[in-house]
Amino acid sequence: MSIVVEQLVKSYDGHPVVNQVSLRVAEGELFVLLGPSGSGKSTVLRMIAGLTDIDSGRVLLHGRDVTGLPPQKRRVGFVFQHYALFRHMTVAGNIEFPLRIRKVPEADIRHRRDELLDLVGLVGFQGRYPQQLSGGQRQRVALARALAHQPDVLLLDEPFGALDAKIRGDLRRTVRDIQRELRIATIFVTHDQEEAFELADRLGVMNFGRLLEVGPPDELYLRPETEFVATFLGTANLMVGEVTPSGVRLGPVEFPLGNMKGAAGEGRRVQVLFRPEDVAVKDSQEALSWPLLGKAVVEESSFVGSYERLRLRLPPLLGTRPIAPPAPFGGDSIRIEASRSQHQSRRYPLHPGEAAWVGVRRVHALIHPGLSMLILTDGTPEAQAALDFGGQVAVRAHARVTLLAHGFGDDSAARQHLQEAKEAIGSGLASIVTRIAREGAPEAVAEEASREHFDLLVKGLPARGRPELLDRLLQTGQHNLLLVPKPRPVPARVLVCVSVGEPAKEDVLFAARLVRHLGAEATILTVLPEGRDAQDLEHARRFLTACMRTMWLLGVNAKTLVGGCGWRGWCGTW
Amino acid sequence: MKERGVLPGFGLTLGFTLFYLTLIVLIPLAATFYKTSALTWSEFWSATTAPRVMASYRLSFGASLVAALTNVVFGLLVAWVLIRYDFPGRRFVDMLVDLPFALPTAVAGITLTSLYSGNGWIGRFLEPLGIKAAFSPLGVVIALTFIGLPFVVRTVQPVLLEMDPEVEQAAASLGAGRWSIVTRIILPGIVPALLTGFTLAFARGLGEYGSIVFISGNMPMRTEITPLLIVTKLEQYDYAGATAIAVVMLVISFALLLAINLLQHWSRRRIGGAGIDGAGA
Repeated sequence: MSIVVEQLVKSYDGHPVVNQVSLRVAEGELFVLLGPSGSGKSTVLRMIAGLTDIDSGRVLLHGRDVTGLPPQKRRVGFVFQHYALFRHMTVAGNIEFPLRIRKVPEADIRHRRDELLDLVGLVGFQGRYPQQLSGGQRQRVALARALAHQPDVLLLDEPFGALDAKIRGDLRRTVRDIQRELRIATIFVTHDQEEAFELADRLGVMNFGRLLEVGPPDELYLRPETEFVATFLGTANLMVGEVTPSGVRLGPVEFPLGNMKGAAGEGRRVQVLFRPEDVAVKDSQEALSWPLLGKAVVEESSFVGSYERLRLRLPPLLGTRPIAPPAPFGGDSIRIEASRSQHQSRRYPLHPGEAAWVGVRRVHALIHPGLSMLILTDGTPEAQAALDFGGQVAVRAHARVTLLAHGFGDDSAARQHLQEAKEAIGSGLASIVTRIAREGAPEAVAEEASREHFDLLVKGLPARGRPELLDRLLQTGQHNLLLVPKPRPVPARVLVCVSVGEPAKEDVLFAARLVRHLGAEATILTVLPEGRDAQDLEHARRFLTACMRTMWLLGVNAKTLVGGCGWRGWCGTW
Repeated sequence: MKERGVLPGFGLTLGFTLFYLTLIVLIPLAATFYKTSALTWSEFWSATTAPRVMASYRLSFGASLVAALTNVVFGLLVAWVLIRYDFPGRRFVDMLVDLPFALPTAVAGITLTSLYSGNGWIGRFLEPLGIKAAFSPLGVVIALTFIGLPFVVRTVQPVLLEMDPEVEQAAASLGAGRWSIVTRIILPGIVPALLTGFTLAFARGLGEYGSIVFISGNMPMRTEITPLLIVTKLEQYDYAGATAIAVVMLVISFALLLAINLLQHWSRRRIGGAGIDGAGA
């Protein structure tokens, strides 16, 4: 392995921007790190180069542990987004710089410089100053300079981010050709998925500091495991279906699926993905040789070069809820994205308002269940705290959220409030739907919970403690309850209190799921009742250690703590 | 086609500018030359090359040069610390830099004199070492260093601020050590700004009067600066002699500034506008 990164962590002000990232890049491989801005991908790259300090974790280059080494000693070539050329030096001066630093003999310097100018296609430009070059030419100089000292690995940080589309294409091919020719292990950071697909041998997708999935581009596109990767790579039609003995069910249609075999939980909810090109559109039910979803109305059709994009509206499917594209506000229909080749669209032209039969050629079920949350609001300050905190948790967990307004006098005030809440949470969610209930909170929650399962119910802590209300809220469904006392940032440390015994295992599993999304550390605490002896303490410790291991397995850093009262009335923690 | 500016009034503002410069700068300068013309060539020559005058030239130009060079080194350091590090009281220190601008020069002169004289706070430690700070050419250098500091700091600061730390990181990842980064990457980038700062500090030093008359002691042939000599001549009603020396000062200063400006222009063009005038590229 040329590049090995183990459990990299970087936090600013207690919040992890890079959270337990591990990856491996093979000899001669071009690995692309893809993610939205702020996902931590550039920070990972900078930590590999030694330009950003590492909080914890290791970096190995060709088996050499460079974690503690300064950038000068890491033998990496780094290309910056904004070129970072030395403007008081000519093109030749820039390229020769790493060689002069190393006191390479003059003749060799000239030879190597000419070689590199030839490699990046800038022969004849050696006498120019950087500001006399175009953006694309500058980045070619930066590339040549980064390769001059024959580094072990090449790191490129959004190198084409500041360039226009045509030049990006040219440079992409240049980078690909050079990388192939030199067979140098390379990590390329970008937020542009087209670039990622074109360049990558393998691809890693990052979001909120975590490396979510790694694999060949086609594998990640066709068979993603997480909701984020499914919706971030390309356009996705993503719906919640149901697990059946042989596959998954979407409304009336059952799809046999290999990867669902043996998956536990018949009747369990599962996220089902199909891509626009998997959607078949025909003029009659008979012409459709694929499983039929229903008769749809064309909402929009647009010409995008080599293919045609259709947006279709289907009537609701029983037991199915759309995640992406998001359902239209206030409606109950399902939107579907489809694409057709120019050839197909010429044979069967479709215009907005016309009807067509829609089928699906193939579907894929996601293995990782996303988190689904129900946030309650009645417009009070306590409810606002729940909205703020719940929203932050939801964004980090990339959760599906239902906002439920209750206790509002009239619907328009409720709608207004929900719209504002939705905007405040912003983007980054798998889906967000809003509902307005006229009845009280427990009844409204019970109704929502009967329609679908929620992992977490978020509610502001009432001004006066009303335990019977909370009891009723908990009894209305299978959800966990999160009470938010006042506005606060997302925690960096979480205390998980458990009692020793079987029910606690479920709690630890759920806590791990939640805490992992927050990027926080956990402390698992149990309090021993009075009058327990050393044997009980030992038992509790063993139990907590098992909990801790489970959490580690699920990617959460955890510690344990036992509290209680010992002999002579001394109370504290062990 | 020339593009129309958003704000009109080029003619008016240019006219005002020329009028203003004429009134403030050109007329007094012309008057200086006119006054001098009362002298014959030989009178002019003897007035401007008398030993006492020659000594004052040496002190004025020499002390200004030394002070400006000192400020180039330490002013750069101050600017660097102010830009690159964040420490408690940074804004206060930043404000202190401007103090020599704001302080009346006479106040600075008196303060420095009392500090550096034989029984002053600093002077009493220098005296046993055989260093006479006040009432010596060294005193003149100290005063001029004090006066010139803000010029260097304030011209270098914006350029340092604008420097992309990524360029240094690039140099580090290419194998350059700290020394190489400073000498090969950072310094070449700020040379034009340093030259500007040097020029301003130097020019300011040549014209300085208020603070020096206190700390120098004004001993003819030893610690008498040219501006003081001019004042002395004026007090003796020797207007023509005073303006003759003034003309020499003027011509030499102009020649020096021109030379430095040319140098600056050349270095700025080489690095493509990364000087004080901003971004370039």
